[in-house]
Amino acid sequence: MIRILDPTLGTAPTPAALPLAPRPARLSGVTLGLLANRKSNGMALLDRIAAHLRERHGVAEIVRVAKTNASAPVSE
Amino acid sequence: MSAATERPGQDVADPWGAIEACYAHGWTDGLPVVPPTETLVDAMLAAGPWAADHVLLYEPVRDRAVTAEKAAINAVMAGCRPEYFPVVGAALQAIGDPAFMLHGPATSTGGSALMVIVNGPVASRLGLNARANLFGPGARANATIGRVLRLVLLNCLECRPGVLDKSTQGWPGKYSLCFAEDEAASPWEPLHVSRGLPPGSSAVTVYAAESGHNVLSHGTSDPERLLTCFADALSSLSSLSPGRSVIVFAPEHAAHLARAGWSRPRTAAWLYDHAWRSLADLKRGGKVEPAFYENPTLAEWLYRNRPGGAPDPLPAPSEAERVEPEDEAVRVRRGFGPDDILIAVGGGEAGGHSAFFPSWSRGRSVPFVTKEVPA
Repeated sequence: MIRILDPTLGTAPTPAALPLAPRPARLSGVTLGLLANRKSNGMALLDRIAAHLRERHGVAEIVRVAKTNASAPVSE
Repeated sequence: MSAATERPGQDVADPWGAIEACYAHGWTDGLPVVPPTETLVDAMLAAGPWAADHVLLYEPVRDRAVTAEKAAINAVMAGCRPEYFPVVGAALQAIGDPAFMLHGPATSTGGSALMVIVNGPVASRLGLNARANLFGPGARANATIGRVLRLVLLNCLECRPGVLDKSTQGWPGKYSLCFAEDEAASPWEPLHVSRGLPPGSSAVTVYAAESGHNVLSHGTSDPERLLTCFADALSSLSSLSPGRSVIVFAPEHAAHLARAGWSRPRTAAWLYDHAWRSLADLKRGGKVEPAFYENPTLAEWLYRNRPGGAPDPLPAPSEAERVEPEDEAVRVRRGFGPDDILIAVGGGEAGGHSAFFPSWSRGRSVPFVTKEVPA
């Protein structure tokens, strides 16, 4: 009998470490945060989504954040 | 119970069962692996200067930390001898440098390989091949050190093909792409010394590479004629980008340059100056996308060599493909300057075959990173 060691990091970090914020019942009047990952045309796609959510669901303020580069983590 | 037996793993009947268990867990690159027994892993770890829990590679986008112990397990699996481990660790530290932005080359459709160029006394000590067939099969150190990086991406960063690794095609260099520079055949100082490390040190230089392009030239020893062939490869529309380039000159080509007194910086500067296509060519070849005009880096790239700089205002994105008469005279060069062209020397003593490795992205891609190998 031989023992081989696990080369992986095991179970990935669980979402419980960063719990989801409470879900709002309606989008009307809420502030919406949108994160662009800087892939080509990603900003344009989010612009359309933002416009749609404003018109149809009454989202109030929209906070736009973009990564510096698609390969980089979100900066603080 | 000893601490060793608490390490996660699996008990198997024999080595053949262990190889199959590794396949069953999805722990391989498709080739068989050496079963990572505790004895072999401990010997690997002991050959490096790092404690088992020392983090050699941290990937911040997905918050993954690869310890020396996990690196050692994957190094055993790749087939490394323990004395390779300091080079393996340095290479992992290099691809984990924040500037390298590993998440991109690890996951992008571009399908790049992680190139490792080894310099210094460690290369010959480990039997790393810098000569005939240096990119091909035959040398254990080349094959297995490069393979560890891929196994770490697969096993620790979960870069499974088609899932997180979204390479459209990938290429065989993704199994392993590690070689030494032939410092004896090079007319120039060793690559790592040109990048600021002291003579006599050992180092790895990493790069995210698309598949290599053989630059065949048997017909001239004149530097400018020879380099014209390289500039043509660098300026091919298929890979033209503001990104980086690696050139590995065959000894024969390097000797032509050396006899004429060409330095490494002069060679890089000449190549940068001559590896260009007109903006009109780029547009005719579908290489100018509307989104380029909304991306400062890409817009700068298109116009940085235009007399007077970028037009103000920039063309509307909807006009991206329209060829204007002045576009014929706008030169779009590969990269942002000669420093984006890294030059090394390697290959067999016979033959006019060098290599150009483009970077993996239509953007700037990621920089070269050089790290010293611990003694």
